[in-house]
Amino acid sequence: MKKMKEKEMAIVASVLCKTYQVNEIKVEVLKDVNLDVEEGEFTVIDGASGSGKTTLLNIIGGIDKPTSGSIMVFDENIEDKNEDFMATFRCKSIGFVFQSYNLISTLTMAENVAFPMEWLRKPQEQIEKRVEELLDIVGLRHRAEHFPYQLSGGEQQRVAFARALANDPPLLLVDEPTGNLDTTTSLKIIDILGKLKGDGKTIIVATHDDRIFKLADQKLRLEDGKLVKRNE
Amino acid sequence: MSETFFSLNDLLRRKLQTALVIASLALCVASTLFLLLLGDKIGFGILSMAENRLTASFSTVFSRFITFASLLIFIVGVVIVYFMVFVMMSQRVRDIGLMKAAGCPNDLIFGYFMNELVIIALAGCLLGVVLGVVADYASGFLLRSVGMQVVQGSINLWLDLLVFVIFFLLSLIAGVKPILNTTRVESVKALSPSFSFGLSKESDFKGVAKAGLTLKLAVRSLFRRKSATLRIILCLTSVFILITVAVAGGIVAKQTTKSWVERAVGKEIILIAHHDVGNQYRLLLSKFHEPAEASAFNYADEKYFIPSEILTRLESVSGISIDRRFIIEASVEEVQVYVLGTETTGTTTVGDHRKGVSLVVGVEPEKALGRWFLYGESLDKDDALEVMVGDTLAQKIFGTPLVQNMTLLAKSLRVISVCIDPINNGNVTYVPLKTLQNATGILVPNIVMVKINDSADRGTVLAQINTMVKAVNPDFEALELDQTLDENLGLLDYMWSMIMFLPMFCLSAAAMCLVGYVILAINEQRQEFGVLRAVGAKPSAVIKIVGAQNLLILLSSWATGIALGTMITLLILVPEPTVTSYTVIEIAVWLLAAMVAIFILSLYPVLRFSKKPILSTLAQP
Repeated sequence: MKKMKEKEMAIVASVLCKTYQVNEIKVEVLKDVNLDVEEGEFTVIDGASGSGKTTLLNIIGGIDKPTSGSIMVFDENIEDKNEDFMATFRCKSIGFVFQSYNLISTLTMAENVAFPMEWLRKPQEQIEKRVEELLDIVGLRHRAEHFPYQLSGGEQQRVAFARALANDPPLLLVDEPTGNLDTTTSLKIIDILGKLKGDGKTIIVATHDDRIFKLADQKLRLEDGKLVKRNE
Repeated sequence: MSETFFSLNDLLRRKLQTALVIASLALCVASTLFLLLLGDKIGFGILSMAENRLTASFSTVFSRFITFASLLIFIVGVVIVYFMVFVMMSQRVRDIGLMKAAGCPNDLIFGYFMNELVIIALAGCLLGVVLGVVADYASGFLLRSVGMQVVQGSINLWLDLLVFVIFFLLSLIAGVKPILNTTRVESVKALSPSFSFGLSKESDFKGVAKAGLTLKLAVRSLFRRKSATLRIILCLTSVFILITVAVAGGIVAKQTTKSWVERAVGKEIILIAHHDVGNQYRLLLSKFHEPAEASAFNYADEKYFIPSEILTRLESVSGISIDRRFIIEASVEEVQVYVLGTETTGTTTVGDHRKGVSLVVGVEPEKALGRWFLYGESLDKDDALEVMVGDTLAQKIFGTPLVQNMTLLAKSLRVISVCIDPINNGNVTYVPLKTLQNATGILVPNIVMVKINDSADRGTVLAQINTMVKAVNPDFEALELDQTLDENLGLLDYMWSMIMFLPMFCLSAAAMCLVGYVILAINEQRQEFGVLRAVGAKPSAVIKIVGAQNLLILLSSWATGIALGTMITLLILVPEPTVTSYTVIEIAVWLLAAMVAIFILSLYPVLRFSKKPILSTLAQP
């Protein structure tokens, strides 16, 4: 899956391995994974449960480290960077959408969307304007002052998208975005993904949902820890 | 799996939390035991020791202080134990939910956790007794190293056992309720994250919306854990009341009692007397800080009278104040009186005919250098038939001294005041000099107190007086009383500094409680902190949020504790306290240091947590 024009690459992962040690047993989750993603490309990865999709996304997002191999994200070699650098890097360049939404329960929807911008000390007016804009995009402006427990799962997932886009990151990592949702709500999420693809974002989605594959430029599958092209 | 095995296993699985509960319980037990043992040495036994050391008023202050501090420590102990068991159970709510969902009966679950409580109470109380005894030995060693005669007896097994049993039972009683409450929770509720950690429902508190993210998250999380937050604030408030009483009370009482001594003896006073009288006078003064039996001494021997030439020459020395005194030892007797009842027209008998032997000091009221702390009026007439009695004498042979008379040398004298004076342990009677001269027929003083005025060169004047006294009669000498005064003040210093051990114990126990609360808070928020970090927060941001929570809790309990503690100290513990601006600063620095120390310690769990990889914090508990 190596591509020729490396200067336009958003992600270049080479021979990535990830092994977990559970007592005496070694579990190899990723084995010699190579992955190239061009800027603006929509990549979809599927695989059986426990195949390592989330682990791969975590490594790309810098919240987990590979056991061996190298990974470049926007020309930054992220596996040897310290925690503070990675925090700022994630805040500016990577938007994360978790499978279980992971909104902060003590913050309202608007505050949940705003806080990644507050880490970067953006002016308050700019933050407020951006929050309104993002909540409009996901269709939840009227729920801005509600707390997470007052929203449905689908609504929380849409807010999670808005939060991931707060600092307008060029890369979006999305983990099972429709895994916990009903069909109608899933379609709204897929619609958001389609809009984001249109905006030119680099997107990697780990999913089992065939409807999302229709948006994909690159379709991959994790099988026994190895990343392979997905057969149609 | 047996109940004991389950309990031991569960406790060992949560090493830090288990250690915290045991340590905080041990510190409560240790501080109570230490205070009781210390009280045995200098406090509760003090009234019976008044004959040999200190005076009645000092004993009262110490006794009241120690009794009150014991009571407070006991209350704090109960609150801390209750809180720690609550925290312990909050951390197990989810497990209990799982056990119930799997079909484990309530009584078995109760048995498991009661076993844990018994193990913890046993370990904590045993450790506390050991720690208390060690602290007592350490304080005894310190007191002896500074020259105090403290008898370190064998280990007081009965007292140790009493404290152990009381705290053991107390732990079980305080701990049963949180365990019962938790085991009664339905499994659905127990498994819900919104119920565990003391959350009864999701919070919709929107306060501090305009504040920064750190403060917003901190405040809202505190409100979210309302019941746990209120409990820790209550717990820390009671600890801060105790610390304030111990620190502020200790410092104010130290200043006050020291000022009593300084005012009575006077600072930089020079005593001119025959060297035998001088030694005797110093012995009488030092009885305050070391038990000493003065042998019979005939103060009225002519050889002890101050030669008139010394008196004449002293008067020609400029820059000094002179206070002539005549001291003797004499029998005194209480005079019984009848007073009119306030509500009836009948009379009430006050006092009896108790007798005693007192040091009697004749002073010229307007020239006296002592500025006694006294109840009643001061002596102000040269030949009045009035006396001022020391507090110990007043307590020993009078019922209501200020309405009674005293018979001294066949004269009936009205008691007009009770003063606090360390000389002869407060067994002293001050009489106008002329009245005493009339009663004894001796017109010559046997001691002269001299104070060199601030405007004069002390060294030169002192040398001049010394030379003059020796030239007139080499048996006479000029003695500086400051050394004896310092020894008396030193005793008070050391006694109060022993009491300062208390805040340290309480401080450590309070820190443990807060650390326990912080662990609970982090467990509750761990996933959210993981999300914050995954989205771009630095580890320091998590530290700031938890730090802000700790600070808010500490500030609220600190302010309440200090306000209540200060009121207790000033209104109940120390009568007419001496509070200078320096005292206020000293207290403020101590209390601030206490808060800062607890705050720093409370950051330990979050510092540890912030080093964990993001993935492990994101994982479901």
